[in-house]
This record gives sequence, structure tokens and C-alpha cells, in this order.
Amino acid sequence: MTRKLRCHAIVLGVTVALTLAGCGGSGGDTAEAGGNSKGLEKTTIKVGALPIPDPVSLYIANAKGYFKEEGLTVEPVTITGGAAALPQIQSGALDISQTNYVSTFLAVSQGKKIKLVADMYQAAPNTFNIMVPKDSSIRTVEDLKGKTILVNNLNNIATLAVTTQLKVAGLTEKDVKFVEKPFPDMGNAILSGQADAGWITEPFITANQSQHGFRKLVDTMTGQTADLPIAGWMATEEWASKYPKTLAAFQRAIAKAQQLASSDRKEIEATLPKYTKIDAKTASVITLGAYPSELNANRLQKVADLMLEYGYLKSAIDVKSVIATTGASNG
Amino acid sequence: MTGARLLRGAAGAVGFLVLAELFIRFGVSEDLKFPAPSVILLEAVRLPADPDFLEGVVTTLGNWVLGLLVATAVAVPLGVLLGALPPVERAIRPLLEFLRPIPSVAIIPLAILLIPVDELMKVSVIVYASVWPILINTLYGMHDVDPLAKESLRSFGFGSLAVLVRVSLPSAAPFVATGVRIAAGIALVLAVSAELLAGGVAGIGVYVNIAGSGNRTDLMLAATCWAGVLGVLANMLLLTGERRLFRWHRMRTGAAQS
Repeated sequence: MTRKLRCHAIVLGVTVALTLAGCGGSGGDTAEAGGNSKGLEKTTIKVGALPIPDPVSLYIANAKGYFKEEGLTVEPVTITGGAAALPQIQSGALDISQTNYVSTFLAVSQGKKIKLVADMYQAAPNTFNIMVPKDSSIRTVEDLKGKTILVNNLNNIATLAVTTQLKVAGLTEKDVKFVEKPFPDMGNAILSGQADAGWITEPFITANQSQHGFRKLVDTMTGQTADLPIAGWMATEEWASKYPKTLAAFQRAIAKAQQLASSDRKEIEATLPKYTKIDAKTASVITLGAYPSELNANRLQKVADLMLEYGYLKSAIDVKSVIATTGASNG
Repeated sequence: MTGARLLRGAAGAVGFLVLAELFIRFGVSEDLKFPAPSVILLEAVRLPADPDFLEGVVTTLGNWVLGLLVATAVAVPLGVLLGALPPVERAIRPLLEFLRPIPSVAIIPLAILLIPVDELMKVSVIVYASVWPILINTLYGMHDVDPLAKESLRSFGFGSLAVLVRVSLPSAAPFVATGVRIAAGIALVLAVSAELLAGGVAGIGVYVNIAGSGNRTDLMLAATCWAGVLGVLANMLLLTGERRLFRWHRMRTGAAQS
């Protein structure tokens, strides 16, 4: 009796073990098949992004499982800037990273072998404004003559955008003084007299309005810079040609998340507090740009052309040559 | 005695905080926005409840401890070797003296470019910075060995290895410990600096960057406060260890104070 019981127990045990093993095995197979059927060269990638609203799609795609559907595991890494991330994609510490287009084209003009792989963020009205204190004597862009303007980086999108507005007012960049200052410090720096105006983006536009009562002098994304492409995803040329299917999978998932982000602002508001220190309340009031789901060479060419016009580039860049050719097209 | 000293220290810290609070609340123009110490301290108390911050502390601490251990493992044998072989020391010394004053933070951008694994990059710069104080202190320790003790052992027929193990190493050990304690402070600076410059998945420096981008100066400073607390705790821990282990050394040198 006891022996029979033991036999039963053994049979049961073996059956359970086999079933579990079977489940585990088939589970593993499907997961692998998922990866294999897509033929991904690399299934886990590190992607660099700044803790700001621009790369929200990366976190939406992760949360909604868009990367998983493609057989891709994405590890977001917080970077400190597009230019700072460049050595990290070159060394291989990152597979793909956020970049801003001005930095990208500057790097390309210096012979860096990088490719744009997906679009991320595009300016919308009032996303990048020149702001001044409420009682400032500066009333129009012409009043900026001889004044000091704070920008987050010299020789980049900030100075380019401000210069296009100066041109409309009949001024050039020589008529003002640009000083570098991180966004969080701009409000106090202007109020303490270190500068007269600042080129400010969200969430700092809203913060400076509510905390300091700053007013907008001009929206720098108008005229020549209307709907200017701001940021995208980059990889090295070598990476893009070595992992074309991994890249295509990333592009599909990001495009899907970009579509969701541009159709439903609530998704962005819900995702921002998860990877930035922008709380839900602030997220609901800040002005956001656009999230294009397609990397369009014609739109991006505008950035390169502006850079050439204002002397940021010595010679013209054909943006088509900077866009990764493999990828979305075969996806 | 220690109670009175503690009391004075606490009074100094509280006095500073009160002055800072008053200055920021009343001394600075009303338009300027800067979080007062009370706000920062409140956020600092709340921070351990933030899982992102905790993950950051664990990551930074991990890199810090690992870097310090590797640096000790590299610098102590090297220091003993150089100390025991004066001709080699004379040959290498100029190179050491050249490398030592280079600000370690300046090698972070180079490390980012050269080392493809993020954690390895961070630990490497911590090791680089921490090696110097340990190495130099070990060297001093080796120089400071009582020659009479060495000679006595030799005259009793002990070999040079036995002299090293029985006299030189124990005699140099307190210096090594001081080197490690100094290196611990430097290692923390590098651990956080590497995160501030390179970013990463988690870390105190990464947290500070994220807080800054979200216009949360209060959180930036609260996280920085914690880095300071960790530094003080590590120093206290190592100092206690030194006192326990090397009681005889303090008695001998008469360094009874502090």
C-alpha cells in the first residue's frame, strides 16, 4: 500500500515535472521563435534618452509592450545630452541614442559616421520661447540689441533659433551676447541681472511664468523655423548596417508609439512622471511639440539648410545621406 | 568630553542651517527662487521612499565599494613592492608624480570614449582616482619602518621576506588604512561625477540630472545631501576601524587626540 502510494507519487511527480518542463520548453521556443522569425541580430539593446518630454515614445513603447511584440528588449539609459551621448554610441556603451538634429549635422560635417534612424520631436508653437521678466524694458525683438540672452548650449539649436528671429527684426547674432546656462538656472540668473532674456523650453516656460511671472517675448519656432524638427534617434553607421533587422524592429515600435503619443496627449501625461521629475499636474499644463512617426528627409533638410545659411555648416549636407537606408522600408 | 564636542558640532551645523534659512527667506530678493534648507531637508527625508532614488543609491554605493576594493588590491601590493625595492621606486616615482595631480574628473570623458561598458567605465575612473592616496600612503608607511627593528631581525638571521612580513607590513598597515580612508572620499566624488557626466540607468548623479531636467532644484540638492551623508558615514566607519585595529600605533605615535 505504502509502496503503491509511493509509486503514484513518483509517477505524479514525474508527470508534473515533464509537463512543467514541456511548458517551459515550448514557452522558450515561442519566445525564441518570436525573435528568430523576425531574425533579429540582437534582441537586447541599450537606448540613451534625456529625462525630458521629447523621447516619451521610448517609454510608451516599453510600457505598452511594442518592443516586446517585435522580440526586442530595450533598456533605457539616462544620458546627459545628445553631444555627450555621441562617444557612448561610438564606444558601444549605447546601441541607439537620442540626439538633436543640429548636433547631429555638426557631427556629420566633422566626419562622424552616424545615421539618423527615427524621428522623435518637432517644434510646435510656444515650445521654445525667448522670455523676459514681466517688468523688462524689452518689448520687441529689436529691443534685444546689445542685450545678453541665455541659451542652454552655444552654437546649437538655441542660438540658431534665436538668430532666425533676430534676422526678422533686422538684427544679427553680432548684435546680442549669448551666454550658456542650464535651463533650471535661467530664471534666477535673469532676475539677478546676469542676463536680460533667456531661450527657454518646457517645463521651464511654465515654471518661469508661474514662479517669476516671466512673459514671452517671441516664439522662436515661427517663420523660417516653424515646425522645425528638433530631436531624433541616432546610431552609428556601423551599427545600422550590422543590425538592420534589430533597427527595423526598433523603428516599427517607435513609430507605433509616436502615433499613439500624437493622437492621445493623455498617454504622454501619464508617462512623463515615470521617467522625468515632471509631475502629473505640470505634465497636464506644459506645451508639447509634435511627435512625427516618419523620418522625412525633406523636413529635416530644412534644419541643415538653416545651419548652412547661418554659418553653422561650412558646406551643404544632403540629409538623405545621413538617414539610415535599412530599416523601416523592409519592415 | 565627547558629549560636549558632539554638542558643539551639532550647534555649528544647526546654526549654519538657520542662517542659510534666514538668508534665503529674507536676505535674497523675493523674485529669486532657491529652495531653503528646511525644504531641502524635508525632501531629503522623503527621498528614501522614492524607489528610483534607492536604486540610484544602491548603484552608486556598489560602484564606490567595488572601485575602492580594486584600488586597494592594486595600490597596496604596488606600494609594498616599490617601498621594498628603492631602485624601482626611484625609476617609477617621476611618472607617479606626473600622473597624480591630474584631476581625475578630467579623465571621465576619455573613459566614456574608450570603455564600452558603462559600469566598467565608472568603476575604472573610481579606481584610477583612488589608487593615488593609497599608493602614496603605503609608500610613506614603508619608508617609515623602524630601521632598528629591521636590523635586529636580520641579525637574528631572518631573511628579507620574513623582515617584510614581520616588521615592514605591520608597521606600514596604519598608513595604508589612512590612505584607504582618504581614497574613500575621493572615490565617492568620482562615483557621482561619472554619473553626472555620463548618465546611466541609475545612480545618485543620474537622479540629480533627472531632477534638474524636471525643474526640481530641491530634489537635486536633497540627493546631493544624501551623497554627503554617505561620505560622512563611510569616513566614520573607516576611522572607527582604524582606531580598533591600530590602537598600538596611536599609542606609539602619541596621537591620542581626535
